[in-house]
Amino acid sequence: MITVSSVAGNAGEQCDDLRGDMKLLVVDDAPEMLKAFRDILEAHGCEVYEAENGEEALTKYADMKPDVVLMDILMPRLDGISATKRIIQDDPLAKIIVISAVGKSGLEKECLVAGAKEFIVKPFKVKELLNSIDMLVKG
Amino acid sequence: MKGIESVRGYQEEIIEAIPSTIIVVDRNLEVLYANRNYYAKSVAKKERDVLGERLSRVIPPFLIEKTRIDDKIREVFLTGVPFDGDQLRYPGGMFYFYKIYPLKEGEACISKVVIFMENITELTRLEEELRDSYVKLENAYDELKENDEMKSEFISTASHELRTPITVINSYIEMFEEGMLGELGIVQREKIQIISSQIEHMIRLVEDMLDTSRLESRKLKIHKSSIKVDEIARKVLDELGRLAGLKEQAVSLTIEGPLSEIEGDGRRITQVFNNLLTNAIKYTHNKGKIDVIIRDEPYNVRVSIVDNGIGVAKKDQSKIFEKFFTGNGSSLTRESGRMGLGLAIAKGIVEAHKGRIWVESEIGKGSTFIFTLPKA
Repeated sequence: MITVSSVAGNAGEQCDDLRGDMKLLVVDDAPEMLKAFRDILEAHGCEVYEAENGEEALTKYADMKPDVVLMDILMPRLDGISATKRIIQDDPLAKIIVISAVGKSGLEKECLVAGAKEFIVKPFKVKELLNSIDMLVKG
Repeated sequence: MKGIESVRGYQEEIIEAIPSTIIVVDRNLEVLYANRNYYAKSVAKKERDVLGERLSRVIPPFLIEKTRIDDKIREVFLTGVPFDGDQLRYPGGMFYFYKIYPLKEGEACISKVVIFMENITELTRLEEELRDSYVKLENAYDELKENDEMKSEFISTASHELRTPITVINSYIEMFEEGMLGELGIVQREKIQIISSQIEHMIRLVEDMLDTSRLESRKLKIHKSSIKVDEIARKVLDELGRLAGLKEQAVSLTIEGPLSEIEGDGRRITQVFNNLLTNAIKYTHNKGKIDVIIRDEPYNVRVSIVDNGIGVAKKDQSKIFEKFFTGNGSSLTRESGRMGLGLAIAKGIVEAHKGRIWVESEIGKGSTFIFTLPKA
């Protein structure tokens, strides 16, 4: 798990430097969750695209080529793990963070094997999420 | 004189006393002998009607038909191998069991066979009853298990479903706190803090619910590593010190002897301390005393959490470790903020470590919660 590094001073300002112009695709079947992701990420200068299920995520990924994907697991039509596998198939360098409401230990492994770079369990801290995104983009 | 020697000369009495039917026939299937039990069952028949008669006239014809007993007897005569038994159903729900044994005379020459017949109606009935009860029991168990699984599944689904809305609320609280949604005044900041602490509480309740469903479905995973129980105790006491401080309680930690490290799940053992100490603080009066004593024993590390609080009634001492038990019978008068899961979870975790947990208590004087964690 990535450790929380301290962000000094005004969090928003410093992060803007790092995340300016960054494109993120957020995938979740709960519209409120999508809205929260958008508010958090746009406040940090990111461009945000939304998908409500795994299938939509595949099309959006191909169209937008986002820098990072935030992926829910339990969704209608196509689940997050299958979607992750399919995206990685087409783009092995895709940076996908799975954000799950289910915290089973076997599941984390399954997601990482599918090609996700990180596994975060809901409820997460906004700072923790932003840090994970930073680490992925920097690495 | 021992064994068969000691009863030589009593054969007749013994055979007559056997509560099964015994019939001896020769190669022509003519009856040479029938014991007392045969006459007791076939009241109409006298010895003179039976001896020298063909077997088919001595036992009911349908019986011959059904069992092909005559063929079986011929087979025994031919091979010298006993017929080891079969079950036979009489009309009227009677059940018999019969066997045929060759009687050898001298040089393996078989001139007679003996037929044993036993009424096993009662036995068969009991067996059937037993089988019926077993099936019923099994069905009831399956049904119960299914209900229980459905309930666990429901708890699991419900707590997972709650996570997304909690995450959304939490995210906005954090954004408010970080000033990302504009500057907050003192009043707003204070209210946001209340929402935040209540959401934290809700997260703990959801986690407790999930843990309970994991315990029930035996999906609670223990990730073992080398842990120091005293370090965990210190950490939890540090965290809960503020809570005890609010009630001006004196909390102490005593370590008896050098403690062995044990193999355990640090996060889960922290949870056990947390649940037990939160209870101790909650159920001990202001200015009360709570002592945590950790002792090294030959096979265990033993933790006692001693308080001088309200205590637990004798009749409740085993029940408090059951889930959803909250101390009194009515669900309307229970204290808020509790689901009665803390002790059930603590018990589940301790037992998953192959340890034991129990309480010693006297009403009004206080409680001692004890748990042990095996060293190996």
